[in-house]
Amino acid sequence: MSASEGFRTDLLGAIPSLRAFAVSLTQNADRADDLVQETLVKAWDKQDSFQLGTNLKAWLFTILRNEFYSQMRKRGREVQDSDGIMTARLAIHPSQHGQLDLKDFRAALEQLPEDQREAIILIGASGFSYEEAAEICGCAVGTIKSRVSRARTRLQEILQISGDEDFGPDAISAQVTGSSVL
Amino acid sequence: MKDTTKTGASARQAGSADTLGANSEIGRKLKQYYDELVSDEVPDRFAQLLAQLEQVEPGRKKD
Repeated sequence: MSASEGFRTDLLGAIPSLRAFAVSLTQNADRADDLVQETLVKAWDKQDSFQLGTNLKAWLFTILRNEFYSQMRKRGREVQDSDGIMTARLAIHPSQHGQLDLKDFRAALEQLPEDQREAIILIGASGFSYEEAAEICGCAVGTIKSRVSRARTRLQEILQISGDEDFGPDAISAQVTGSSVL
Repeated sequence: MKDTTKTGASARQAGSADTLGANSEIGRKLKQYYDELVSDEVPDRFAQLLAQLEQVEPGRKKD
């Protein structure tokens, strides 16, 4: 099997995840697929720079994300001419069997700023570690953590879900070990 | 001298600093949302694209 054939198979396998991430970022199925296509082309061109044994999915997500933000910057200029028509039509078609509350969730996700949305998706859905997510987003691990946390709080507010056990009233506030050895 | 045994539940919670775990409502919805996207059928255009890309010599000289 040639190297390129193996690489192609790997890319093929990553497409469902790439599309999911792209939709999460763009909130638009068509734009998402264009983004995935760009990503595949770029990845193919740069395949020599992919280091075997490292995480291909993370590498691809990084490419996709960079492409997304570079498109955003370009669009930022174009959109000014067309008066927000773009923003009005960025809805996803809910699938036939989609539940209502999933629809609500989707709408809530859409309200998050991009950086928070991508962080919570990478950590909470795509299965990346904080370290991997930080690498994908080109920022510090702590930044990812705080974005995830803010995203989660924001979603809870929008969806009126009360936080779970984080502030659990365990009366162990007397957690002081008391023995500070010097 | 007393031994301080600190095996509290708080330690366990801090260990799994995962605020989006399976027990969280947000975490579950997020997974549900994402899994639905992942299981969406992939259009043929992508397989075709990759096939095309492979036909072009990958190690083509970069000028």
